[in-house]
Amino acid sequence: MTRFLSTWRKYHLGRYLLLLLILYLLALPLVQIMAPDRKLVTNSLLFSFTQLFMLITLASNWNLTGGFTGYVDFGHAVFFGLGAYGTGIMMSKAGWSFVPALVGGAVVAIIFALFIGSATLRLKGPYFSIAMLGTFVAMREIVRVMKPLTGGGTGLTLPPYLNRPLFYYVTLAQVILVVIFISWLVKRTEFGKSLIAIREDEVGAEMRGINTTLHKITIFAIAAFSSGLVGGLWAYQNTFIDPDIVFLQSRTVDMVMMTMLGGLGIVAGPVVGGAVLYWLRDVIWANFLHFHLIVQGIVLIMIVLFLPEGILGTLADRTGGTTIGRLWGRYLTPPKETKVEEAEVSS
Amino acid sequence: MTTGASEPLLAGHNVSKYFGGLAALSNVDFAVYPGEVMGLIGPNGSGKTTLFDCLSRVQNIDRGQITFKGEDITRKKPFQVAHMGLSRTFQVIRVYRKLTVLENMLLSRQWGGLGIIKLFHSYPKKIEDRARDLIHFLLLDAVIEEQAGRLSGGQQRLLELGMALMPDPDLILLDEATSGVNPTLIETIKERIVELNQNYNKTFLLIEHNIQFIGDLCNRVFVLNYGEMLAEGTPDHIMNNEAVIEAYFGMGGDDDELGN
Repeated sequence: MTRFLSTWRKYHLGRYLLLLLILYLLALPLVQIMAPDRKLVTNSLLFSFTQLFMLITLASNWNLTGGFTGYVDFGHAVFFGLGAYGTGIMMSKAGWSFVPALVGGAVVAIIFALFIGSATLRLKGPYFSIAMLGTFVAMREIVRVMKPLTGGGTGLTLPPYLNRPLFYYVTLAQVILVVIFISWLVKRTEFGKSLIAIREDEVGAEMRGINTTLHKITIFAIAAFSSGLVGGLWAYQNTFIDPDIVFLQSRTVDMVMMTMLGGLGIVAGPVVGGAVLYWLRDVIWANFLHFHLIVQGIVLIMIVLFLPEGILGTLADRTGGTTIGRLWGRYLTPPKETKVEEAEVSS
Repeated sequence: MTTGASEPLLAGHNVSKYFGGLAALSNVDFAVYPGEVMGLIGPNGSGKTTLFDCLSRVQNIDRGQITFKGEDITRKKPFQVAHMGLSRTFQVIRVYRKLTVLENMLLSRQWGGLGIIKLFHSYPKKIEDRARDLIHFLLLDAVIEEQAGRLSGGQQRLLELGMALMPDPDLILLDEATSGVNPTLIETIKERIVELNQNYNKTFLLIEHNIQFIGDLCNRVFVLNYGEMLAEGTPDHIMNNEAVIEAYFGMGGDDDELGN
């Protein structure tokens, strides 16, 4: 095991693996275009990837507020829903074409985020989480009641488009790249560092000259816009929306779980967490059809117990914290024992 | 270190703060002049930290007015006051525990830009150089890449001082900068304060229980007791003031109280 890992480390096999993965993802649509009849790449494979991309994008957005800023948002799916309904209404009622309607839906989400954020972001900790949960539930009921506009419980049907998985695959691949780029940008700039400062100590950050309110609302709005975009895409792909399938509670739960599993406040956290959770679900579903939700729950409890900082968080924290992290660190870093002895002798 | 001649840098008029029925501060008047090192002492619960919180605008005052550089800051937000050049440290250490020492320092530079603009740039070289200089000044070079939460209490105090100095403020409020710090490090902190005061013309207002520290550093001291201003004057004068001795050290001139 040690030898395998040192070889792995020596030749940067992780990088090549990542490169292979990216090439594979790029090749999928190309193969589909060039050899559509050979069934090398099936539509269902592309569709699965589309779903995964969507979940990762949402989780990545959630990570901006929940992971970086420390505002655990249990109602983030409200922006997904607003994007979906915004796009849906603009297309089916106002007769807009897809692209402007999609942007319009995301704009609805951002406006609502600015409005609700300026109220709820004053709250701290669990109060914020519960307020956002309340917002989410309230919005679902508002959409249900506003029948003339939203179609109420009977839902809305969007003008159908050639529902080709390839189109969504390519679009969502672009969206996911942008979202990950935003996360990366946030993480490495002063703005993102300020968000982490807010997470660590909001009062201290405010007294050290960080305009915390502005920072929180800005990141909240960015996340909302992006989730609204995904919501619009989802609505168009689904061609039918009603309050219960759009404002699905489990969507927020998915975002939280994926981010937690990958690592809170880590750019690649939602990507890794999303991929693992998606794969895990598939495996569990295939093997334990009748009680797959129970098994999934148990697996998640185990993960929280043994990987509290998520997969990447645990691996990154090589010095302290968890046993797995320490073991991993010992494998990855060359032994330093000789160095320590020298230092002791010299002192 | 002249007092009186110039306009006060920071001044409070009738500052009052109530927690329910408890008067944490009542009608406190004070002034801090540029270039001073001023001490603020008082027994536990006398309202020292509350006063600091009011000055840095974390808490609203119920009555009175606070001016900084001649400008009324009674209704300003904490970050705005910080941008005006008022920094502080905290009685209970507040550093960003998960970030490194260097990141902690960089984050305290108090740049007043919009969040959205900050999204597209990282720290300029000049700022980072300044942070590194200050870290060196505070003898924290060895732990520069260490997570702040892993430092010792004393090092965290020094880091807090560094974070307060980072934006190049005019006035620094130090809240018990020496509590939990070993004697050698206290000497270091003391030297640094003197150097900053004399060479860089920084004004300090410090809360301190260490009387020796106050006596060595401050040219003026004021005493709070039950939220009221008890006395004000030079350290020597204060140490010999009967009312202060009674309030602070719990012993008065006459011991009759126990007998009766």
